[in-house]
Amino acid sequence: MKKRENESYFSEVLDKLVEHRAAMAGLCVLVLEIVLVIILPPILKLNPYDSDYTAFSAAPGAAHILGTDAIGRDIFARLIYGGRTSLLVGLVSTMISCLVGVPLGLIAGYFRGKAEIVIMRVADIFMSFPSIVLILVLVAVLGPSIWSVTIVIGVLGWTQFARLIYANVLSVSEKEYVESARAIGTSDFEIITRYILPNSFAPILIAITFQMASAILTESSLSFLGMGVQPPGASWGNMLYDAQSISVLSKRLWMWMPPGIALLITVLSINFLGDGIRDALDPKIKI
Amino acid sequence: MTNEKPILVETKELTKYFTGKKDLLNLHPQEVKAVDHVNLTIRRGETLGLVGESGCGKSTLGRVILRLIPMTSGQVFYEGVDIGAYDKKQMWQMRKKMQIIFQDPYSSLNPRMTVYDLVRAPLDVFGIGTTEERREMVISILNDVGLDRQYLNRFPHEFSGGQRQRIGIARALVLNPEFVVCDEAVSALDVSVRAQVLNLMCRMQEKRRLTYLFISHDLSVVRHVSDRVAVMYLGSVVEIGTKHELYGSPLHPYTRALLSAIPIPDANRKRNRIILEGDVPNAYHPPAGCRFHTRCPYATEQCSQEVPVLRQVGDGEHMVACHRAEEV
Repeated sequence: MKKRENESYFSEVLDKLVEHRAAMAGLCVLVLEIVLVIILPPILKLNPYDSDYTAFSAAPGAAHILGTDAIGRDIFARLIYGGRTSLLVGLVSTMISCLVGVPLGLIAGYFRGKAEIVIMRVADIFMSFPSIVLILVLVAVLGPSIWSVTIVIGVLGWTQFARLIYANVLSVSEKEYVESARAIGTSDFEIITRYILPNSFAPILIAITFQMASAILTESSLSFLGMGVQPPGASWGNMLYDAQSISVLSKRLWMWMPPGIALLITVLSINFLGDGIRDALDPKIKI
Repeated sequence: MTNEKPILVETKELTKYFTGKKDLLNLHPQEVKAVDHVNLTIRRGETLGLVGESGCGKSTLGRVILRLIPMTSGQVFYEGVDIGAYDKKQMWQMRKKMQIIFQDPYSSLNPRMTVYDLVRAPLDVFGIGTTEERREMVISILNDVGLDRQYLNRFPHEFSGGQRQRIGIARALVLNPEFVVCDEAVSALDVSVRAQVLNLMCRMQEKRRLTYLFISHDLSVVRHVSDRVAVMYLGSVVEIGTKHELYGSPLHPYTRALLSAIPIPDANRKRNRIILEGDVPNAYHPPAGCRFHTRCPYATEQCSQEVPVLRQVGDGEHMVACHRAEEV
């Protein structure tokens, strides 16, 4: 192993990540997107809700740079606001999944016994449901809105994190440094937070990215099916709702191409970033 | 010479069974008798060497004494008090007095903690001193084990095996324990570094009046550091005595076979190696009677039926668990 002054494991990982071109490209795109959806609306005074009665289904032009939808709303404004929705749902629901799944996985893996049986079997049950159907039902019960969608996607995503961290904790718990922590009288809580979590967190970073991509896609699917973000609220998914008609699909490309491309680029960027993190964390891969 | 010293640690019929392979309904759980009714005494200030081949239960014994793994039955006395009966909180207090140095310096240090954090952790756990005092204590113990303060903020992967083991020793000794289990503490090190670390451990023992339980499979190392030596075979102690008694006149056939395997650094001297027949028996099905009888060249009918107990031989401290120790 290279020896450099004060070089920690994470700065080494960071070095490798910076070298990873696809990951850096993905990161740049994501940062750019986040900046755009935050600063563009107040600067350009975008209005995604009101109809322009002079231009229904207008093709892109000077007045509406990406055209308007069937009831005259500006596509560009809706694209930006829809980006806010998608990124927010992706981030927040992944945070929820993480906050629910990681502690449960830690408990199951560290204490074993009954906790392990209960938590992991419940996870198995959760995973045996077709998730999109379950999400549809729950959203229908809670009433479709951005927050109900976020919470439902978030809560149902916990199994990924729980299983991942559980598997890691099982192997890390066998390490001698955990026994050594016990030998000096360290409490269970501190063993988990100082010895086990830092050594099993790396795969979680990867899972966070992929979970975020999949949450964004799930939200879009729900909105596309009409069970997600409700109009006039904008989301990339409910913009694609219009594409359910064959005439829009074939003749009015400006209505569904922008949100479709935006989704594609976002999910692709997140996945590239996830790949990069995975490669950077793998000591055997030299980039 | 060690007779006058008071007993620090004593085990009585200490036993640890691991439940192994289970059948479908767990009707006939199989057990491995890793430590089987072991009686040992360790006197204050001495080093008791514990030797035996891989899998004989010597590391398990060390961990059961420290209660790092729960015992199946038996008792462990520390200064005459049965610590096996201690509850969690009492045992936590005992951790200040009993420590362990691990075998593998590559896996026994948390890779995410700096040297300073690693050595300070025991002080944090017991809330000893202020932040400033802790820092001083860490620097002082690192100095004692031969590590400069400039290394404080380094991570374990930046060190060599010998240096890591020094960190492990510092971590074990920073609480000023009385009793330290050295579990193959130098086995993972290069021969050149091994001597340095051994000498360091001996120096620390003198300086801090430590009592060591020195677990190793290396007979030469054990001879170098120990006052008394115990030999284990398949979970039981078969022979125990001062190192002069044990190395000078081994009584148990197993001990003799082990000792005959020590290489002699002299090309002209011929060794009379005793080659044992067969393998160590399966720990799930240990042989009846004397556990060694399947490989013992002197085994008789009695050996396969009666379990020999440790008994005193001669007028010293020499004890052996063999029916035919006098004859062979």
